[in-house]
Amino acid sequence: MSPDQLTALLNNALSEHLAGKISGKELMQLERLSGGANNETWRLTWGGTPLILRRRPFSADSVDQLEGNILGLSLVDEAAVIQLATSTSVPVPDIHAVFDASHPIGEAFLMGFIAGESIPQKWLVDDTYEVARSRLAFQCGEALGRIHSIDCSLLPANIGPTTLDKRFAAAQKRLHAFGDISPVMQFGLNWLIDHAPTEAPCVLLHGDFRTGNLLVDEQGLAGVLDWELTHQGPAEEDLGYLCANVWRFGHLQNPVGGFGGYDELIAGYASTAGWTPELSTIRYWEIFAALSWGLVCQTMGALWHSGNGDVERAAVARRRSEAELDILLLIEEWENA
Amino acid sequence: MSQDSEQTTASDVTISELLGAVKGFLMDSALPALSGRDQFNARVAANVLGIIDREQQVGPELAALDAAAAQQWLPGDSGSGTALQQLSRALAAREVDADTDFFEYLKQRQLLVAAINNPRYASRKVAEERWRSES
Repeated sequence: MSPDQLTALLNNALSEHLAGKISGKELMQLERLSGGANNETWRLTWGGTPLILRRRPFSADSVDQLEGNILGLSLVDEAAVIQLATSTSVPVPDIHAVFDASHPIGEAFLMGFIAGESIPQKWLVDDTYEVARSRLAFQCGEALGRIHSIDCSLLPANIGPTTLDKRFAAAQKRLHAFGDISPVMQFGLNWLIDHAPTEAPCVLLHGDFRTGNLLVDEQGLAGVLDWELTHQGPAEEDLGYLCANVWRFGHLQNPVGGFGGYDELIAGYASTAGWTPELSTIRYWEIFAALSWGLVCQTMGALWHSGNGDVERAAVARRRSEAELDILLLIEEWENA
Repeated sequence: MSQDSEQTTASDVTISELLGAVKGFLMDSALPALSGRDQFNARVAANVLGIIDREQQVGPELAALDAAAAQQWLPGDSGSGTALQQLSRALAAREVDADTDFFEYLKQRQLLVAAINNPRYASRKVAEERWRSES
C-alpha cells in the first residue's frame, strides 16, 4: 500500500477512533521507519501528537499455507498483551486504536510514541548513554520479572501454555517443512532435546526481549517494544534470549544484550520475581535462542519465496549462518565447561 | 606476446569485477538518489552482491567438504535430496553418530558458510581463532 493510500484510509479511521482522546483533524508526516522484516512500522502525527502505527503488510491468507510459519501473534492479540503490560510498571506505549484484518487499513494498531533511542548501534556506544548502559541489565531483569508476573488467565486465548516437548516437535516440524537444508540446525535441535532442563511452570514471556526491541534514554530502559512473539514458557527463556550472541551487536564481551553482565540481570530479575534463576539454565536458552533465530531466518526465506517481501527479507534468510555458528560455538563451550 | 596477453587480461571482466561494478553503481549512484525504504534496500542489495561474490569463490570448497561428509556418514542408499538434506534427515532420525569427527566437519563447514554470508559477524572471529588451527 502506498503512503498516499494509507494516509487517506487513516484520515477516515482516526477521526472516528481518536475522537475525544487525541485532538486533531488531519494526519501529518506519515513516514515508514526502516527495519522490521515482519510488520511495518509507521510514524505519524495527529494534531501535533506523535503516534506509531504497526501494520501487517500482507494478509494472513497469503501465508497460511506456509507450513510452520512463525509470524507470531495477530496484531490484535499483540495490542491486547501490551494493554495488559500497562498494568505493571514495565514501560510500554498506550494503545489508541486496533484494526482487525477486515479493516481496509489491514491488521494494525496505533500506539503512543515513547521518546528514546531505538537504534542499538547508537545507545550501545554513545557516551550519552554510559549511565544508562550501566543500569540497563538490572533494569531489564526487573522488567522481565514484572512481565512474568502477569496473570496468564487474562491472556488472549491464542496464547496458551506449552511444554518443551511441544516446542521441540514444532521446531522439528519446521526444519522438515523448510526442506531439511541444515545439518547444523538439526544437530542443534538434537542437542537441545538431549540436554533439556527440567520442565518449569509457564509464565507470560515477552518472547522477543532483545537489544533491538528496547528504547533507551539517559536514565536507562524507556520502553519495551515489539510484543509480536509473546508466548508462554519457562522464565529463563526470556533471560537467555536477551543474552544470545546474535543480539549483542558485536559486543560479545557483554553477555546481556551487548551491554551488561549476567550477575546484574539475574539480580534485577530476583528483585521483582522473588526467586533467582540458574545461570546454566539461562545459557541453555541462549542455545535455544540461536536455533530460534535460525528458524526465523528460514521463515523469512520461505515468506520471500511465497511472494511476500523485498530484498531485505531474501537477504535475512542468509543470516541463518549466524545462528548455525553460534549453535556450534555455544554447544562446544557447554561441553568443555 | 606478453603485451598481447596483458591486453587480453585487461579487457576481460570477471564475475567478481562485474559484481563490484554493480555494487559501485548501487552505492555511489543509486543510493544517494533514493530515500527511505528504497535507500535502505539499496544498501542491502549491495551487501547481497558480496554474498554472491564470496559464494562463487568459496562454494566449490564447501561442496567438496559436504560430499566427503556424505561419503563418510551416509549409508549406501540414503534416498533423494542433496548431501546436506540427507545428512540432516539422518541426524533427525538419529542414524548418524554425531561424534567428535562429525562435530569437526560441522565446524569446518560453518567457517566457510560464515565467510560467505556474513564475514563481519562477531562470533566468526571467535570461531576462526578456535577452529581454524584444528583443520
